Amino acid sequence: MERRKALQRTGLLAGAAVIMPSLLSLFQSCKTESRLDWQPAFLKEEEVKTISALLDMILPRTETPGALDVKADMFIDKVFAETYDITGQKNIRAEIATFNADCKKNFGAIFTDLNEADRTKVLQEAETTSEKFNPGIWGVSLGKQKPIGFYRSMKSMAIWAYFTSEEMGKKVLSYDPIPGNYDPCKPLSGVGNRWSL
Amino acid sequence: MANFNIDAKKEKVYDAIVIGSGISGGWAAKELCEKGLKTLVLERGRIVEHVVDYPTMNLDPWDMELRGGLTPEEKEKHYKNIRSGWVGKDTEHFWADDAANPYTETKPFLWLRGHQMGGRSLLWGKQTYRWSDLDFEANAKDGNGVDWPIRYKDIKPWYTYVEKFAGISGEAMNLPQLPDSHFLPPMEMNCVEKHIKGRIEKEFSDRNMIIGRCAHLTQPHNGRGQCQNRNRCSRGCPYGAYFSSNAVTLPPANASGNLTIRPYSIVQSLIYDEAKEKVTGVRIIDSETNEAIEYSSKIIFVNASTLSTTQILLNSKSSRFENGLGNDSGELGHNLMDHTYRVGAMGKVAGFDDKYYKGRRPNGIYIPRYVNIDENSKSDKFVRGFGFQGEGFRGGNPANIESFGADYKDSILKPGPWEFFITGFAECLPYHDNQVTLNGDVLDKWGQPTLSIDAEFKANEKALNKQIQEDAVEMLQKVGLKDILGFDKEHPPGYGVHEMGTARMGRDPKTSVLNDFNQVHAAKNVFVTDGACMTSSSCVNPSLTYMALTARAANHAVSELKKLNF
Repeated sequence: MERRKALQRTGLLAGAAVIMPSLLSLFQSCKTESRLDWQPAFLKEEEVKTISALLDMILPRTETPGALDVKADMFIDKVFAETYDITGQKNIRAEIATFNADCKKNFGAIFTDLNEADRTKVLQEAETTSEKFNPGIWGVSLGKQKPIGFYRSMKSMAIWAYFTSEEMGKKVLSYDPIPGNYDPCKPLSGVGNRWSL
Repeated sequence: MANFNIDAKKEKVYDAIVIGSGISGGWAAKELCEKGLKTLVLERGRIVEHVVDYPTMNLDPWDMELRGGLTPEEKEKHYKNIRSGWVGKDTEHFWADDAANPYTETKPFLWLRGHQMGGRSLLWGKQTYRWSDLDFEANAKDGNGVDWPIRYKDIKPWYTYVEKFAGISGEAMNLPQLPDSHFLPPMEMNCVEKHIKGRIEKEFSDRNMIIGRCAHLTQPHNGRGQCQNRNRCSRGCPYGAYFSSNAVTLPPANASGNLTIRPYSIVQSLIYDEAKEKVTGVRIIDSETNEAIEYSSKIIFVNASTLSTTQILLNSKSSRFENGLGNDSGELGHNLMDHTYRVGAMGKVAGFDDKYYKGRRPNGIYIPRYVNIDENSKSDKFVRGFGFQGEGFRGGNPANIESFGADYKDSILKPGPWEFFITGFAECLPYHDNQVTLNGDVLDKWGQPTLSIDAEFKANEKALNKQIQEDAVEMLQKVGLKDILGFDKEHPPGYGVHEMGTARMGRDPKTSVLNDFNQVHAAKNVFVTDGACMTSSSCVNPSLTYMALTARAANHAVSELKKLNF
């Protein structure tokens, strides 16, 4: 745990201290809110902006935190950097590029440069046309899984990053690390949100 | 717990040597040590001391740097294990290094290994069921394989003996095909499971749905704590609430003062003395120093896990045993079995949206075998049978919901729909041509020959799987589930992690490797009591039977030793 905290601090420090030339250009070109205050380990600026914007559309802040509040985008960048092999990294870059190319083709601009209404159309289109995850048991999905496209993969990853964040896991979802007894049947109202573990 | 005695430097001679410290090796160590034998346990991997060496036991997802994700290097190290779906950062350290310990899949086979003190007793599924005479008589009745040299009455008192010590929870049902254990109180079914149990038992008069019988404590037992429903078992349990060698059998072995456990000890072969017509010791390679060392003893228990045990026997060649120790029959390495796995059905359950549960029960439900158990239930499509494991839970995949944004996000904070699945475990017949052989062309990190595994499910298993899926779908339909999905992952053998056979017990030395007390026919001071000894595979989880066979064999070994028969 200590190691994790240490790494987080290092990450923030690096983000604050090192401004890469490419990031400078990002700051200069960005029109709205999308200033990066952290240093991605894998994603490039346009990619990070795309992912962050997607996450914010899917899981926005309401009365409860949104995906960006719990730094889901930072975590996903870390996952790409540290758990994907070279091929996986190449593929995810290509998928983000294709996603943006499609936005450009259909709406005239990359995702982050679209207005709210067009972004919504992009997501609605993706929701209705993309394949779904097969159910799984014991760690493996059942049946023949059709390839999951970029959008729903990202959505799934966003939910994972969101639900497994400490903020959500301990404060928003129902947290009970040592249940003790097993209560086999209780009113949902007595629990509230889903169990985090 | 006192520290384990790992000093095997000075003393090279013991009363007994036990190879391996998993479920059966741990039992052998406990029984032999408690009966007064100076016992050396040879463990291929490192020491894993109960609680002390469970680094992830209390970690929440956010406490892990990648929240359970593995790096490409870790994935490479476990490139075979990972196919199982079980390997994550929380348990990675308990899975063997596939890269350093290669094996060859002549036909696809997943061989999951745990190379540390406790072996796979840290990782197992903990479902514990007695076998019955339906199982022990199966080969004799339908002519597949050879007859078991024992019957239920021979093992019954030993089931009770190990259950009383291990602690098995479950409900007594008085079913002839699934005898009751000596039970601790059963775990409970949740509301959906209770509902489905009622419907299945009403719709199908030949079937029962019971809570899983398992090696989890539902009350404090022998100084161990009861299950806290965290479902983090495979990381090691701080309460010692599930059965593992580390928490249950090795501590009393150690407390006897008779145990020496030597880690990093790869057993290369057994040493056979032709004049004495028995095995006098073992040769090991220290995995860290590569030093070759010999230890001797009066009796040897080989409990390295099914295929590793057979690998050691095959590699123990002498002029008396040119094809491996105890292989006069030519059956050593043959008749490899596993249960079929991940074939069944799942569906959604309506009407319980206002119900939830508290606690992560590390157990599910079980539907005992109902086919081919008597004349009335005879199938004309296959011999033997199957049982189901399953579970009801609130699941769903929020990523599949065709929505996004504020309302969507708030909605997925609530639990998903109730789902229920059952998945079958079918018996696999003992086929002579399902086999492992030594492979001198592929050597492991220590220059030792490895195994080639050549096994497959055949027509009978495929027919059983077809029936499993049809029955599973039919049951879920009849009980009123929606969105029912029948499935068959068509896993090759190995995925069930119930590998059995390759050094089978039998009545006739011409057709089997071991006798009725698990002794090698032609070297009676060598005992094999892990999965290698199994003559048939039942459809029922085998680990409890290994425990009982081991305690029984250890008792026999000590009584023979006292009679100076070794």
